[in-house]
Amino acid sequence: MIRRLVVLMLLVGGAVLLEPLRAPTEGVIAPRSLFLFGILLLTADTFGALAHDLRLPRLLGYLVAGLALGPSLAGIVPAGVLEDLSMMKRLAVGLIGLLAGAELRLADLKERHRTILLVLVFEMTAVLAVLLGTTLLVQHWLPFLQGLEPGPLFFVALLFAVLLTVNSPMVTLALLTETGARGPLAKTTLSVVLLADVVVILLFTGAFSLARSSVAGTSEAATEILFGLMREMLGSIAAGALIGAVVTLYLRFVKRELVLFAVVVVFAVAAAAEALHFELLLSLLVAGFLVENVAPVRAEPLVDALHQTAVPVFVIFFAMAGAELQVREFLAVWPLVVVVALARMGAIFGSSRTAARIARAEPVVQQYGWTGLVSQAGVALSLSVIVADRLPLVGLAMQTLAVGIIAFNETVGPVLFRRGLERAGEVVVS
Amino acid sequence: MQTTLTALAVIAVGYILAYLVFDRLRDSFGYVGGAEYIVIGFLLGPRVTGLLGAGQVQDLTPIVSLALGWLGMLLGTYFRLPTMALIEADHLRVAFAEACTTFGTALAALIGIFHYVVGYPWPEATVQAVTLAAVATLSSPAAIDAVTRKASQRSPLLPVLQLTARLDALVAVTAFGLILAIFHQGQVSPSVRPPTATEWAVINVAVGVASGVLFHLFLEHRGSLDEPEGSSRLFVALAGAIVVASGASYYLNLSPIYTNLVLGFILANSGGTHRDVTRLLLVTERPVYLALLIFAGAAWSPSSPELLFIAPLFVIVRLAARFTGGWIAGAVVAPPELRTPKLGRALLAQGGIAVALAVNYTQVRSDLNPDLILTATLVSVLLFDIVASRETGEVVDQATSDARRGDTSAPDPLAS
Repeated sequence: MIRRLVVLMLLVGGAVLLEPLRAPTEGVIAPRSLFLFGILLLTADTFGALAHDLRLPRLLGYLVAGLALGPSLAGIVPAGVLEDLSMMKRLAVGLIGLLAGAELRLADLKERHRTILLVLVFEMTAVLAVLLGTTLLVQHWLPFLQGLEPGPLFFVALLFAVLLTVNSPMVTLALLTETGARGPLAKTTLSVVLLADVVVILLFTGAFSLARSSVAGTSEAATEILFGLMREMLGSIAAGALIGAVVTLYLRFVKRELVLFAVVVVFAVAAAAEALHFELLLSLLVAGFLVENVAPVRAEPLVDALHQTAVPVFVIFFAMAGAELQVREFLAVWPLVVVVALARMGAIFGSSRTAARIARAEPVVQQYGWTGLVSQAGVALSLSVIVADRLPLVGLAMQTLAVGIIAFNETVGPVLFRRGLERAGEVVVS
Repeated sequence: MQTTLTALAVIAVGYILAYLVFDRLRDSFGYVGGAEYIVIGFLLGPRVTGLLGAGQVQDLTPIVSLALGWLGMLLGTYFRLPTMALIEADHLRVAFAEACTTFGTALAALIGIFHYVVGYPWPEATVQAVTLAAVATLSSPAAIDAVTRKASQRSPLLPVLQLTARLDALVAVTAFGLILAIFHQGQVSPSVRPPTATEWAVINVAVGVASGVLFHLFLEHRGSLDEPEGSSRLFVALAGAIVVASGASYYLNLSPIYTNLVLGFILANSGGTHRDVTRLLLVTERPVYLALLIFAGAAWSPSSPELLFIAPLFVIVRLAARFTGGWIAGAVVAPPELRTPKLGRALLAQGGIAVALAVNYTQVRSDLNPDLILTATLVSVLLFDIVASRETGEVVDQATSDARRGDTSAPDPLAS
């Protein structure tokens, strides 16, 4: 391990030596970005192995590597480089969306629908209620609630609570891939997290429009936004069905070079999503689900191919996510972050245990089900960006705190879930 | 919305048609290329549907650099010295003679075209001529492997062809790497003296050697491919290594394929990881190659009309150079038991590295007819890949029956 760290330092040193020989190249991605992307990959791989040796999730290593090299700390990978490489992150999100959808099996959903539904409803209600209560309780310390009238204050607090209700399909899948877990805890968590993702986007749509209309005082605009977001949501589902049909035809008639096909599909869908305003992740999730559960073809070859890409995709996604974490902003609000994050964790713990007990789920689900619901990552971050962009009056300050809480959950959540899986005896790959 | 849906429909229909056409060619001619992927890239790209806009095509550079470096590294791993030491001297002589003569013939013809016909000054003419001569020299082992798989009897010519294809690639990539270094393009920081051509050439090799040594240390003791997720983890480390080495090359406006060739050579000849590295590179070669074809298709745009005649001319030059090189190596240099005057006919396939060189050229020398080089290469790859398998098969069959008649058979150096 020390040798690998020394090699990484030598590589960075080598880059400094080459600096004066730099030849600016026009028309292609900055050569420096490419070099630093490689360094980021190697560092993430090394830190992932280190985390694994410490019996921690590898993705924590990827996050720490990104954080260490990113603009917040060492600054070796500056923000411009991350922007240059945003396509890679989109590719990662798309591939995981497709895989996540294909991992959601109708048979599993049917078998444990009672547990899944109860955990979903209890967890979301409890988290929403507790976060709303906590937010209102500590409102004097929250900059984005200052100076608001009671009505707008309530709706903005509700939006904040909804934002933090989101789980992380990426973290869940990354850990299930890493550990090879396929037991009741793994299946239940995956189903809850993926379904919650869809429900939260709907909730977010409503909460966002309410907050925006109450802050701006324009109900017409709110209806417009509501319809716009609903259209986006339904468009994503329709696009997902279309993509599912294309994937099915390919699996039926061609069935070759599946990894490459998946990558091309993601790029094409990403471009179409931008042009037609639908959600990349949701549409591919729906596509994966339909191919696995509805299409008259065997989806295993595609799922296997996607599994082959999973590890590199997770390394890219989490290393870049780590590099985007804002340490300074976190340090400025850390007491609030801890309070809200602990309140959220408490709500998840109580509600999911109660729900699992009522549903008479397996003991491991009752005991450790909550551990898989703490993590947050990409979806939550994207929603916080939407709030900051479209509701700048309160959104920018809200984003600072939300990102801090998401970073906390992104770090603590995977550790908890891995422990949960270990204790449940579902870890196949140690 | 309608435009995007039309674009998606165009891509789907275009791909299926291309797939069906090339599948038919696969059945009829033993076609081994992946031209349908060039078609899908072209359909996705800014020239047709625009689903991948010019900016997005540029955003794909990390994947492309990975593909370029991947192919370069795979080529480097072929030259493992303990295996090379077992190759018969006659085979090496034939292979080197073929590679050098083909390159020399193509270079002479292309310099003539660029300097005397088109009228470019010597430096510009040389850069373009060397690049296309390198592309012309390349011969893909894919067609030979396809024939080997089909052959009921082992021909003495097959190991020579396999070795020749690899040495062709070595000569081509080295020439291309050196020409980019010698006629280096781009500014350096005002605080340093601009390196001379020789210094750039040394820097080019040094980057590859330094990367090789560092990644040898990095990849050692990584665990085996057979461990759970071993291949995925090795893939990440290798991808990182290749992207770093390629990034360093781009940084200096040099060739990442050449840098990774040196890196691959060092990894293949040091430590205990070479088997896993080579295995992984081989397993992933085809998807990487096809990804490169998609990118080449997306990035392709026709050359300026007054230079477009060079593309068909290049095909003729390549054919002539290949036959000349093959004749000199197979009829003059080869010992009696390997005498094959039509050796060049068996080496017509071009394959992935040719596309890689052209794509690399478009990125590093965007100032000097990049569209022409890419167009000529793609035309040549498409045409030769269609006929190559059949031609190789015929030459090998002929050599096998000649050997049977003469009751001579050469041992297979690569089998050991």
